[in-house]
Amino acid sequence: MDLLERYLQAVGQYLPAKGRGDTLAELRANLLAEMDGRVEELGRPLNEDEIAAVLEKHGSPPVVAARYLPQQSLIGPALFPLYRFTLLKSFPLVLLVYAAVQVAKYIFGAEDWSFGSAIGHLPFVAFMFWAWMTLGFAVFEFAQGRYFARVKWPETWNVRDLPAVDKQKGPSFANRVAEVVVNSLMFLWLLAVPTHPYLILGPGGSLRGTPFGLSPEWRVFYWQIIALLGLMLVLKFCQLLTRSADWLKGLGLATQVASLLVLVVMVQARTYFAYVPEGHGLPSLETLASVNYWVNFGFKIALAVAVIKLAADVWQMVANSQAKQNGCVRAL
Amino acid sequence: MIENELFDSLRLELRRGCLILAVLAQLRAEHYGYTLRKALADEGLAIEESTLYPLLRRLETQGLLTSEWREEEKRNKRFYRLSAEGAAILTQLLAEWNGINDSLHRIVKDKEER
Repeated sequence: MDLLERYLQAVGQYLPAKGRGDTLAELRANLLAEMDGRVEELGRPLNEDEIAAVLEKHGSPPVVAARYLPQQSLIGPALFPLYRFTLLKSFPLVLLVYAAVQVAKYIFGAEDWSFGSAIGHLPFVAFMFWAWMTLGFAVFEFAQGRYFARVKWPETWNVRDLPAVDKQKGPSFANRVAEVVVNSLMFLWLLAVPTHPYLILGPGGSLRGTPFGLSPEWRVFYWQIIALLGLMLVLKFCQLLTRSADWLKGLGLATQVASLLVLVVMVQARTYFAYVPEGHGLPSLETLASVNYWVNFGFKIALAVAVIKLAADVWQMVANSQAKQNGCVRAL
Repeated sequence: MIENELFDSLRLELRRGCLILAVLAQLRAEHYGYTLRKALADEGLAIEESTLYPLLRRLETQGLLTSEWREEEKRNKRFYRLSAEGAAILTQLLAEWNGINDSLHRIVKDKEER
């Protein structure tokens, strides 16, 4: 019976201390009865191979022990849909906050910031988010039924309380026409600026009577901006002609990218105003540096907002296309 | 191979509920694990010992069975019997089972006749 004792000891290793003795005593009694049954069939005592066969047929120790344990899961089937839903819905927010933090670090010139580290750190952030969410749900699963009543989905509910189906709507035709008109006017206005400098209002106008004028760098980034605005105009015009919702969305994103590139050019310029000897008054270099700094800061903020908006739109586009594949329309 | 695995999995699912019903019904008379398994096998419902013994403990935890340790043939054995609650549940389950069985017969018969 050495084999039986070894078998019971092995099974016992996988059982919790509470109730282990009782389970093993019952298992011993049942296995002995099984062996007695075989003895009765054969009409002689069992040899070691036959005892081993009875035990092996009963199952390996971890498998047998598992059957005596209550069914356990980290996150049970009742809670799992909520866990999955929360993960999917909150992950874009995590990305958004992460992007905002990285952009803020870039704007305020954090010393440890680099584009590579910002991208490289993202998988760790995503993993930590998943780990904490899973841990939170697992703790909740463990606690419910033990420390508080098991949470149940309400049995009575009204289908009319569900939100209305959100149809994916693109910009209307009238909106698209207005956008083309406005973009065309802006494009023409900017094209006219070199030959008609008086068209520059705002900062250009306020600088009259000061020793400051537009910096020579404008000559470089002016044409870059004109090229990008021209591209945007073409894209807007394509949006006007297309009827496919998918193409509309794609073109919309391409336009966003082009406008984002305009902001990148503006941010990179850094010097917008410079000292003009023929101007009136005495130059204050401190004021000039301050004006350039704050204009650059403003463009950086605009760039940050544009990046976040683009990331959110791309995410939504991917999510919607996945929902479409699953045969349902996801709320925008 | 995959078909076999699928069949085994579906068969297991189909048997799971039926086994509980059979065990509860058989335990209207007192048995310990081994004799219960023999009795079920004699009625044509063979069940692995590694499935049956844990099932007995689970049904006892749910209050459907009662058990007591007793010496028989110079050995301590745990005898199980249907509890009052188990008997009430068994009556309801049998009614449900008969309903399902009748419906299934009708459905299968209808399909075969068409």
